[in-house]
Amino acid sequence: MKRAQVDGRLFTPELVARLERDGTALVLRSPAVGLWRGAPAAGSMVSPGGLVGELEILGVLHRLRAPDDAGGVVLERPGPAAARRAVAYDDELLRLDPEAGPARAGVGEGGGVAQAEAGGLVFRSPLSGRFYVRPAPGQEAFVKAGDVIEVGRTVALLEVMKTFNRVAYGGEGLPSSARVLEVVPADEADVDEDDVLLRVEPV
Amino acid sequence: MAALATFHRLFIANRGEVAVRIAKACDALGITPVFGVSEADAGAAYLDGRETVRLGPGRAAGSYLDAVRVVQAARQSGCTALHPGWGFLAENPTFAALCESHGVTFVGPPAHVMHLMGKKTPAKQAMRAAGLQLIPGSDGVLADVEQARAVADEIGYPVLIKAESGGGGRGMRIARGSGEVAEAFADAQAEARAAFGDPRVYMERLVEGGRHVEIQVMADRYGQAVHLGERDCTVQRNHQKLIEESPSPVLPEAVRAQSLAAAVEATCRIGYVGAGTMEFLLDGDGVLRFMEMNTRLQVEHCVSEMRSGVDLVREQLRVAAGHPLSLRQEQLELRGHAIECRINAEDPSQGFRPAPGTITRWQSPDGAADATGSTVRVDTHVSSGYRIPPHYDSLICKVIAHGPSRDAAADRMLVALSELVCEGVPTTVPMHRAILASEAFRHNRYDTRAIPGWPGSPGSPSRPGSPAGDRPA
Repeated sequence: MKRAQVDGRLFTPELVARLERDGTALVLRSPAVGLWRGAPAAGSMVSPGGLVGELEILGVLHRLRAPDDAGGVVLERPGPAAARRAVAYDDELLRLDPEAGPARAGVGEGGGVAQAEAGGLVFRSPLSGRFYVRPAPGQEAFVKAGDVIEVGRTVALLEVMKTFNRVAYGGEGLPSSARVLEVVPADEADVDEDDVLLRVEPV
Repeated sequence: MAALATFHRLFIANRGEVAVRIAKACDALGITPVFGVSEADAGAAYLDGRETVRLGPGRAAGSYLDAVRVVQAARQSGCTALHPGWGFLAENPTFAALCESHGVTFVGPPAHVMHLMGKKTPAKQAMRAAGLQLIPGSDGVLADVEQARAVADEIGYPVLIKAESGGGGRGMRIARGSGEVAEAFADAQAEARAAFGDPRVYMERLVEGGRHVEIQVMADRYGQAVHLGERDCTVQRNHQKLIEESPSPVLPEAVRAQSLAAAVEATCRIGYVGAGTMEFLLDGDGVLRFMEMNTRLQVEHCVSEMRSGVDLVREQLRVAAGHPLSLRQEQLELRGHAIECRINAEDPSQGFRPAPGTITRWQSPDGAADATGSTVRVDTHVSSGYRIPPHYDSLICKVIAHGPSRDAAADRMLVALSELVCEGVPTTVPMHRAILASEAFRHNRYDTRAIPGWPGSPGSPSRPGSPAGDRPA
């Protein structure tokens, strides 16, 4: 066998999608055979070299990245909207519009937690409450400027009606992996629903 | 037969002629075949109306040879079994184990048996224990040059030093006297290390100009095995078989019976499952000596099918699904004589230069019986307009003639070859016609070193010192 089986428990192997230019659009194609999951939704932003989901090959998750010279807003994602989609080599994964910048990327629906503003992507508060940047007094902050965070990462606590809620990063229109530019509210500040919590940029 | 429980969907991890052959057996058993295809093969006419999964680019390393891709493709296309065909991953025990560990039944022997037969020394020991004759040589791998010289002096020159993990003619050196042993030993070791990552070598007496005879066996999971007679594949060029026939026209009857029985015995002993072939060298003394076992279906399996009436691929699929053999040895009747010609897209007048390109017009020969009752079978994946990709081997078609006698089969083959039309690319058909019409072929005056009836082509005839004990692909 040419390639040793990669143990996904120890490190996450990466694959880069194949790129084809179709007029002004960029078409990302599968570089291997596998089950594709975590596909970005239509309207979301894919940054050059950014994650476009994962490819599960014989049970091992491979992070799937866009090529370094391809980014844009997802125009279309063909195929059924399944949690995992079987793709073969060279199958079309995504169609990107490279002209649409991050400013137009937001598709936050009513009450959505994320929306693009002029100047970048933001992560918004899902609830109103008191904002805590650290899990307990004297401990490290959950995130600080410069950190790279993934979907699902706890970024803050929100005290709502005497209950502490963990706020997990993620949401429509946000890259699955992002660098924190700024943590907007001060520690223990009161925030409203939809207030900006983090300014982020895709990595 | 159609109601037999086997598999619903089977993945074909191969291409071209063998992929078509496997699909035919799947169709007969009511199995849906799914073809793994490379970018170069996608869209070929032989895949029309078939389910396919694109594996990777045209180069085989990224598609047909990429074990992880192949198994994942089988899994996500819902296949519970996989047929590897021949070549590519067919004799890779790691691949067989990978299939099994992901719940895909590998149509072939268990991985440990494949591993055993892939290493030369354990394979020979197993065969000796089963009563087969071996080529005299070292008892296992050679420790150093001194031992090599001692063994060579004992078995007699010339000797052949071969790689333990070798194949395809690499890692082999000849020594014709004790003065050449040291150099041959060092060269063979270096080449074996470079080619196979295993510098171990062993020694055999070089048998020059023998005949290549092989025995087809078939075993189930319950310790039953049968043979389907022998095949003579002496007509070769650079260890590439060109013509195969059954029965061997030169094998003494007593040796045949004894060797066939020993081959079945050996098959049972090593716990073999499925179709396999034991390759032998028939030396000048009429002794059949074991060389190695191929743990897969072979290109020339059709020769044995024509004589026995057994569909070997169908039998493979049945056995893989856990059924016992459908036939016992005493029910098998081997009839008449069968000859197979491999038609390659090569130019025999240009030193057999491979010739990829587009076949502008293709017409297969007619298979109807002639006055002697001789018939023709054609196995191919090509048709008019087919583009032969440059990435793979040059086999485009096999023509198999079956008749009551060797001459009748050869005559029928000549008619079939005259009917075969292939325009756009040169083929080896003219060479086959010359061979079959030659006195040397008809009267068995040839061995593995030269092509009978085809002298003068550059690089083809006798290469003195060409090791006859090597395995053609």
